[in-house]
Amino acid sequence: MKVRVFLLMIIVFLGFSCRNSKSKTSEFVFPKSDSIPVSEVEKLSPEAIADISKNIASPVEIANLLQTLQVPFSENYLAQSIDANRQSTSFNKALTLGILGADLGYLNMYEKTGSSLEILSSIRKIAEDLKVGQFFDFESIKRLSKNKSNLDSLLFISIDSYNKIDTYLRANDRGQLSALMIIGVWIEGQYLATQVVNVYPNKMLSDRIGEQKIVLNDLIMLISPYCNRDPEFSSLCKDMQDIKDKYRDIRITYTQGDPVSVEKNGGLTIKQTETSVVTMTKEQLDGLIQLTKNIRDRLISNN
Amino acid sequence: MKKIIITLTILFTFGLLSFGQVTDPLINSCAMSAGSDAKYLKDFRIQLGKTSNQNDLRFKTNMSLWKNTKYRFTMCNAQDSKGQLILSIKDDNNKLVVSSFDKKTGKIYPFIDFECQKSGIYQISYDFTDGQQGSGVGVVSMIK
Repeated sequence: MKVRVFLLMIIVFLGFSCRNSKSKTSEFVFPKSDSIPVSEVEKLSPEAIADISKNIASPVEIANLLQTLQVPFSENYLAQSIDANRQSTSFNKALTLGILGADLGYLNMYEKTGSSLEILSSIRKIAEDLKVGQFFDFESIKRLSKNKSNLDSLLFISIDSYNKIDTYLRANDRGQLSALMIIGVWIEGQYLATQVVNVYPNKMLSDRIGEQKIVLNDLIMLISPYCNRDPEFSSLCKDMQDIKDKYRDIRITYTQGDPVSVEKNGGLTIKQTETSVVTMTKEQLDGLIQLTKNIRDRLISNN
Repeated sequence: MKKIIITLTILFTFGLLSFGQVTDPLINSCAMSAGSDAKYLKDFRIQLGKTSNQNDLRFKTNMSLWKNTKYRFTMCNAQDSKGQLILSIKDDNNKLVVSSFDKKTGKIYPFIDFECQKSGIYQISYDFTDGQQGSGVGVVSMIK
């Protein structure tokens, strides 16, 4: 009896220790299972899916970082080979809409608004083909594009239009197109960041690329219900899993700290002292740069 | 002179109409009120009824925030709101990072500038003071 009680105490103690160490863990890890069962994904509420779509970094944030780092603008990063008239499937159209949206964000942030008119006409064509053209206020965007002083309004209307399309697609049982659009935005943003870091090596930028591990599982969860839908989806799901594999050994750890706040100009300014730290080797980064380029180039050559 | 005034009036009216037709005017004005140094990222439309049980803020959403980025969270109230819109941000460990409502002093800040140093998915929550009925907009922007 005493032995049993002793064993029970050890088990309880070990159980506690494990839970404790888990709660104090300071490293981001992927969920244990490599793939999320479709049945689990299908249980996601529309609110949860909406949340996931908000979790993805805006291409405007990446372009903002590039500007902060004083990286010069380059047209070479844009998906110039895309022909809006050659989009044969809804899959291609939705993915391309996302890719072009990221390019539009990059152009707008660098105030290359004149160059954005060509991309805008492609976006218009594709959006109309997908029957979501009504949410894109092309005339206002075009008008604002002609005047650099309207950058704030331009960013607002462009992003707002994409958000409206995303919401509409999800509300009308076209969630697969919304997922494709979001993945298109993410892949193009990732392509932009990885291409730039290849030419202008920078720790802050490579960290941002490494930190994408945080949202990758959410992206995979978003597309998982459609992986068996057709060969195009299956191929994209495999691409996302390949990217996940590249991220598996990239480490994100956290240091603890309490935020510092100060009142400023009537508002409250908070400086976070808790930090995230990315540990990624050059080989890991090179692997991501190459894989992202391969996937993105193939996706736009299909279009 | 008359011609100039008429032309300006037409241009201004057209500008307002064409800008306003695409989106909620409150979102529009709130995004613009974030300041000339702010670049719009996202908005949240919050409409809540009155509640007597206000243990936690009721409108919840998630958003990824990235290290080395300064975010501005601007809160705007619709005219018919009984309460004032407040915000709290929690990290992925459910630890409160910031609140726009200081419970000790009762002060409400109309905007929060957050210098993010830890990339991750944060919980953004909104409600109206004292669980009042209200309608408002929360806009998230980037600042330099």
